[in-house]
Amino acid sequence: MSLFAHILIPLGFIILALLIKKASIKRRLAILFAAINFLWSLTLIPIVQFNDIIVVQTGGWEAPYGISLVADKFSVIMLVIAAFIFFISTVYGAQEVDKERRKSGHFFFSFGVLAGVNGSFIAGDIFNLYVWFEVMLMSSFILVSLGGERPQMEGSIKYLILNLISALFFVSGVGLLYGNLGTLNMAHISQIIANNKEIIPLLNPALILMFVSFAIKGALVPFFFWLPASYHTPPPTVSAMFAGLLTKVGIYSLIRFYTLYLYHDDLFWNKIILWLGTASMIVGAMAASSQIFFRKILSFHIISQIGYIVIALAFFTKASLAAAIFFLVHNMLSKTNAFLVGGIIRRQTGTLNIKALGDIYRQNPIWAILFFISAFSLAGLPPLSGFAAKYLVIKAGVEADMILISMIALFTGILTLFSMVKIWMEVFWKKVPEDIAVPLPVKKRKEHWMLTASIAMAVMIIIMGVNAQSLLNFCNSAAHTLLNPDIYINAVLNQ
Amino acid sequence: MQNIILQKTAKLILIIMTAASLWLLIRGHNNPGGGFIAGIVAATGLILYAIVFGSQKVEKLLKYNTRNWIGSGLAIILVSIIIPIALGEPPMTAMWTTISLPFSISLHTGTPHIFETGVYISVIGIILSIIITIMEVLKWNS
Repeated sequence: MSLFAHILIPLGFIILALLIKKASIKRRLAILFAAINFLWSLTLIPIVQFNDIIVVQTGGWEAPYGISLVADKFSVIMLVIAAFIFFISTVYGAQEVDKERRKSGHFFFSFGVLAGVNGSFIAGDIFNLYVWFEVMLMSSFILVSLGGERPQMEGSIKYLILNLISALFFVSGVGLLYGNLGTLNMAHISQIIANNKEIIPLLNPALILMFVSFAIKGALVPFFFWLPASYHTPPPTVSAMFAGLLTKVGIYSLIRFYTLYLYHDDLFWNKIILWLGTASMIVGAMAASSQIFFRKILSFHIISQIGYIVIALAFFTKASLAAAIFFLVHNMLSKTNAFLVGGIIRRQTGTLNIKALGDIYRQNPIWAILFFISAFSLAGLPPLSGFAAKYLVIKAGVEADMILISMIALFTGILTLFSMVKIWMEVFWKKVPEDIAVPLPVKKRKEHWMLTASIAMAVMIIIMGVNAQSLLNFCNSAAHTLLNPDIYINAVLNQ
Repeated sequence: MQNIILQKTAKLILIIMTAASLWLLIRGHNNPGGGFIAGIVAATGLILYAIVFGSQKVEKLLKYNTRNWIGSGLAIILVSIIIPIALGEPPMTAMWTTISLPFSISLHTGTPHIFETGVYISVIGIILSIIITIMEVLKWNS
């Protein structure tokens, strides 16, 4: 029950949004439901600390036959942070998104995204995971294109096509896997592979298809093109929410698959994941430093940050998995907040071209401080969360004897710092350029809720950086569960 | 379309289709049929009606907006999920009970029937909302 509520809460909002017509009531209801979702996810923490794993067998059908919903500590961390980000972006969006979009269903579809994200974090069955991916893809596609501005259409078509290809790969992988094994329950498949190691070469075609699909979803290097093409087009609320939630679902599934199946065939998979991660880290940071649009820089950065998580996964020790989870949490918070600040700036100045902006620091120091916190947390400055996250990843790498990769990660940090400093100098410090025609400042509009949301996020980033140890302890025990898939298998199959 | 044979036939077919869809809905749990198929069958009858009489007539026939049909169908599904949870079973468990009616008929029913009814209503709502939108965009109102 406690897990199933994470599907029922978004469904409840969707029903009410269909039955109620008034946009102002829907806005309040959206904030209320997002808050309920967040509070409910918090109640999972004590349960999971006591029990290790929560399993719900829907319909009362036992594991390999029915659809099981499973949450271990890793899923619970993701659920909590996703719920927090969703809550913040709903509060922010209640003010930022224009009435036109709210009337045509902005909140309706963002709750669709929430349902998809929550569902993928608790899916215990591969086909179920696929269904949640589709729910997420469809609602997010509509969110990207909602409003129908010209750049939005361009971005959303690229988004849709590349993600449909990913879905195609995923579902063909699912078909092959089912043809080989006759089951799609994640725990059951893991058990079959563990009992019969020779079967893995047979499964590799299916697993490669699924891996490619996750790599597209998670925007790893050769497959990342949809992300920078679409994230800068929708309203800032939407891109902030996507930055916090969507790619992370792909990475979540990759970590889940690696710790359940792929680690059996280390020789083959480890190298692929390690080098793809390294390549994404470098390419993302380099591409970011050549952009001149605020949100494009941040979008390319997501790719670089995903690379850190993936190399931490490839080191595959307890410390590195804990670091990967910690980095994931840090990245979701900081990246979302950077996009949120971008939204406030766009609302007040009407542009996000960093060449045309300038002197924001003097005009409004609060935004500057909020941006400083999230951007330099991304770059990895102490005492913000990014410092602890990068330190943990690199330390785990050195301990796992991957000196070269760790050094590359350290070097990429400098590139990140460079592009963050670039935004900082151009947008916040330099004088407003006189030769470039600056669009006239749009008339002042209220922004207190947007500011509150962004401040709450910044406070979370600082708390996470200063008080890293308590989160790290939780991540460590989550990594322990991930490294011992027997716990997961036994809990799901009830042995 | 002003054609009296077509109009009479469309009305007749609508009644037959609706009756058939209800029959499919009820037998669906153990035999071929079910909420989805039944919803499609009922919607097909309504689409024929819409083609003959225009989309406004169908909206009148449906009484409520298609959004409300989808929403109430989903709400019924939500009820069927919550009933087992309230009785302490895992969500979506099939709970059955036998109700005895007058004339010594006993009705074996349960949460799957509620679920299928919800699917039936929301499928009708979704299909008609698509069709009505298309007809309005194309100004296809006979």
